[in-house]
Amino acid sequence: MALISVRNLTKRYGGIVAVNNLSMTVEEGSVMGLIGPNGAGKTTTIKILLGLLRPDSGSVRVFGEDPWDNPEIKFRIGVIYEDAGFPPHHKVLDYLRRTCRIFGISESRALEMLEAVDLQKEAYRRPIRTLSAGMLQKFAIAHALIHKPELVIADEPTSNLDPQARSKLLDLILQLHDEEKVSFLISSHILPELSRVCSSVAIINNGRVWAQGSFMELCEKFGVGATRISTDKPEILAEVLRRLDYVRNVKVNAGSVSVHADPKRRQNLYEAVLKAAEKVNAKILGIESGTASLEELFRLAVDAGGGVND
Amino acid sequence: MGRYRSFLEVFASSLNEDFHFPILEVFVFLYALGTFVFANMTGMLGQFITSGEAVAYGLVSSLTGFPLFIFVILILKNVAYGLGNDIERGVIRTFLSYPLSRRMLLTAKILSSIVIPLLLLLGIQVSALLILAPDVVMPYMNTVLLSYAAILCHPLLIAALTLIFTLLLKKGGIALITGIILYFMFGIFSGLVMFLAGALNSSLPLKVFAIINPALPLQRYYVRGMPGGVWTPTLNEVLLYVSAGYIIVALTFMFGYLYFERRLEL
Repeated sequence: MALISVRNLTKRYGGIVAVNNLSMTVEEGSVMGLIGPNGAGKTTTIKILLGLLRPDSGSVRVFGEDPWDNPEIKFRIGVIYEDAGFPPHHKVLDYLRRTCRIFGISESRALEMLEAVDLQKEAYRRPIRTLSAGMLQKFAIAHALIHKPELVIADEPTSNLDPQARSKLLDLILQLHDEEKVSFLISSHILPELSRVCSSVAIINNGRVWAQGSFMELCEKFGVGATRISTDKPEILAEVLRRLDYVRNVKVNAGSVSVHADPKRRQNLYEAVLKAAEKVNAKILGIESGTASLEELFRLAVDAGGGVND
Repeated sequence: MGRYRSFLEVFASSLNEDFHFPILEVFVFLYALGTFVFANMTGMLGQFITSGEAVAYGLVSSLTGFPLFIFVILILKNVAYGLGNDIERGVIRTFLSYPLSRRMLLTAKILSSIVIPLLLLLGIQVSALLILAPDVVMPYMNTVLLSYAAILCHPLLIAALTLIFTLLLKKGGIALITGIILYFMFGIFSGLVMFLAGALNSSLPLKVFAIINPALPLQRYYVRGMPGGVWTPTLNEVLLYVSAGYIIVALTFMFGYLYFERRLEL
């Protein structure tokens, strides 16, 4: 089921086209990354999804509904802004308790979330305006997740966080996804982070979705990131590798087999290749690992400048 | 139920921001000071006042002078600076991530930034009237109410216009400057109208201006023989001008609501 469905979305600011006939979907249970260069239209797209901007044309559905001035869907969505704004004179813990009351949940959740994001205890009683940028970002994350949303829309959620806090946030995202089946749409420039948590990505450039799919699908589609295994029995080895569920696009070349594997399970691939070779008595002459990364796909998108909607 | 809970929490949050220490204390002190200390009970208009009703009007008029100025400052602070900064710094965006309609959100902000200062003003004013001159106020309650309605119309129009400017500009600092300019423009325009009416010996400028400032016809009705007295309206005319003034105020607020609900992009 698609939690977010965007069809032919266009948004202009005066003469500038920020989003140009963009289409994408976010499926239930996915962690989707939204990547693209500055000015690609990521934040505009997210703002339209959150009902903060009106599209000029096209259709946007979040949980099957129009997000503009739609209070009901807010119970199901958590929002993390890059530059989150909160009433500055409220104290941190007091404001989170107020947020609990807004969503009709137990106030004990406020403390629970502050601990989950690792905000220093001394900050709990401080007015929000006195928090540092990193503390404010942690607070914003706690605020967004407090009502246990089904979908979290995050615009640059790791900005202002130190490496340790970034890692902790990524762990939290994975934990919420695995244990509570929370879906995420994350816009970020920090591509290694996205590749760590995202099950799929949409690459936006010039206001259009250039490509969308799982990391493996995109590598396969654009012919990058293949792992090449040199062997004396390529046909036989290929047959074995085709049976692995995380391996796709198995191609036999002269003296080698090239495959696309889920990057998160690349280690499994190496072990499987060695086992398979042993089983069919093939000699492995070398393994050339696919080096494709989100950066590479991102660069391709920026260079191409086109879109799948063309 | 959830919707009203969100509304009440956002309202409480806005109150906390608009009147955080020492804002409330300072403004209540200034209201009280202006009402009880600066009020000129004998009044410069005293020589023109001829009836009991006019005395009640004169009393209200003298009590509202300085507090009304404080009220406008508080409105500019809360609406232009407060709401403007909330829009600029993403606080409104955060509020819109709650299960709360745009209409309810704006209502919560207006209640906190305009209605509460108005109630504070009226609470202190009514207390002052009942303490200082109950024998004048009680027999002429209708006059007192009409006087407040007429006198408060133009500050409320300034509040409504400031709200619209704030929503259009989306920036606290610029909205505040625009609000201050608007307030002084209103004063300058008022002076110009008086000058024109006197110079042309015509009541037309006064009548036009009275549509947005019904305190003017009310003053002319109760205070006879004032300088430049080219126009003395009837009570029905005064009521008509007060009604017209509030219709304009209501329409201006309605425009603000429609813009916030349907057009405001953040």
